[in-house]
Amino acid sequence: MENTLIINRLKLAQDYTELLDREGYHLVDMNMVEPFYIEDKEHHPSTIIFERNEQLMSIRSDWTRSLLNYNENFYLSQRFFGYFGPVVRGYETFYQAGVELYGPGEDEVLKSIDMHLSFFKTKTADTYSAVVVNNDKLIDLYMEKYGLDASIKELIYEKNISEIRKVLGGDHPLTVLMTAKVSDQIDIINDEFQESEALDFINHLRSHLADYNMKFILDLSFRSPQSYYNGFYFQVFLNHDYPLLSGGEYNSSAFGIAVNLSNGGLL
Amino acid sequence: MITVALTKGRLYKDFTAYLEDNDLNQYIDPLSEDTRSLYTVVDNVKFIFAKGPDVPTYVESGVADIGIVGSDIIEEDTFNILNVSQLPFGDCHFSVAGLPDQTEFRTIATKYTNVASKYFRDKKTDVSLVHLNGSVELAPLLGLTDGIVDIVQTGNTLKDNGLIEYEKILDIHARLIANKRTFYTKEDEIYKFLTEIGVF
Repeated sequence: MENTLIINRLKLAQDYTELLDREGYHLVDMNMVEPFYIEDKEHHPSTIIFERNEQLMSIRSDWTRSLLNYNENFYLSQRFFGYFGPVVRGYETFYQAGVELYGPGEDEVLKSIDMHLSFFKTKTADTYSAVVVNNDKLIDLYMEKYGLDASIKELIYEKNISEIRKVLGGDHPLTVLMTAKVSDQIDIINDEFQESEALDFINHLRSHLADYNMKFILDLSFRSPQSYYNGFYFQVFLNHDYPLLSGGEYNSSAFGIAVNLSNGGLL
Repeated sequence: MITVALTKGRLYKDFTAYLEDNDLNQYIDPLSEDTRSLYTVVDNVKFIFAKGPDVPTYVESGVADIGIVGSDIIEEDTFNILNVSQLPFGDCHFSVAGLPDQTEFRTIATKYTNVASKYFRDKKTDVSLVHLNGSVELAPLLGLTDGIVDIVQTGNTLKDNGLIEYEKILDIHARLIANKRTFYTKEDEIYKFLTEIGVF
């Protein structure tokens, strides 16, 4: 690995953690070996698990899980946490940086996303190209409104347009939506559902990020590779094929944002 | 520029025939040239030629934005891709085949162990699978297994080897797949290509 890459990553981590400190986030660092609960295996399949003294242990593979366990095991006075450090997935080490917000209001989530975008804008000569968002609850709205079978979800997740067309017909509103360009979906969904909490948040975010002049894409097929996200989910791209920022809602009342320090186009 | 991974072999011929049927002249000549090159560029589209099982790997990694591949490959292995559309060519099917008068199948040779395993599990039939990389018709002829699970298109290969088809498992078609990230970052170019070839 090149010296400059290592030095740049450490510099960026220092600047980022200093930003979090100034903004009132509680910085945490933890042992990489931690207790593991087997029910988490489904959400963290690449975690290395072993047994010591009749207790399952693991090597940290995801800061969100580590912080969630920490939060559930201790009485904490803080709600907003920040981190930087290595995680191990399979046999590879990655570096993660990010924040976790417990019980945030909408304004606090929007402020945190904005803080990240403003900060990383100063760290690259590149510009933001797109933010991609989704919320699984929007699929539920279509299913309720049109009485659709649950099997339609899998077809939406894999963007199986030919099968959706076969099942629903070419004129069905969901087929029309799925065959539209992804950047046009948000206007089509807004026309379809005027009243929706999930859509309200997405529209607020869209207005909030207007100054960044990036494409705002809402796509019902868009999902996180981390299955614990269970509501709103987003990724932000520089002019690069891998996202710089990823994050969203999990565990009903928590919100996380992770920075991609490996291949997000920053280093 | 977008990159499209095409499966070499019969599917490739079917794809170029499909282009001809739909008067997609801009792509026909460059893709019909007899060359050993592993890629060709037409305007804003780079076509790469790959083995079927490698196409989803290229698409999953983002080396290719789009892939055209038989659904057999996607049925056999799991890939983190968008499985966008069935295409109107490359039709064939998975079948169980064996020698005439075979009364039961306790051992099966196949290249597609996951497809075969799921099929027999769904039927609650206890079958031992033997993985072979090709020419699976040899297995029952040499007494290695009772039968095979393989792709059948015309049925001529089975017939030539004295085997018959017992059960049809699953239809196979050509499919268009796409990378999960560049579908957003190269949206305009991808939609232009998908519209040109009739997916939208």
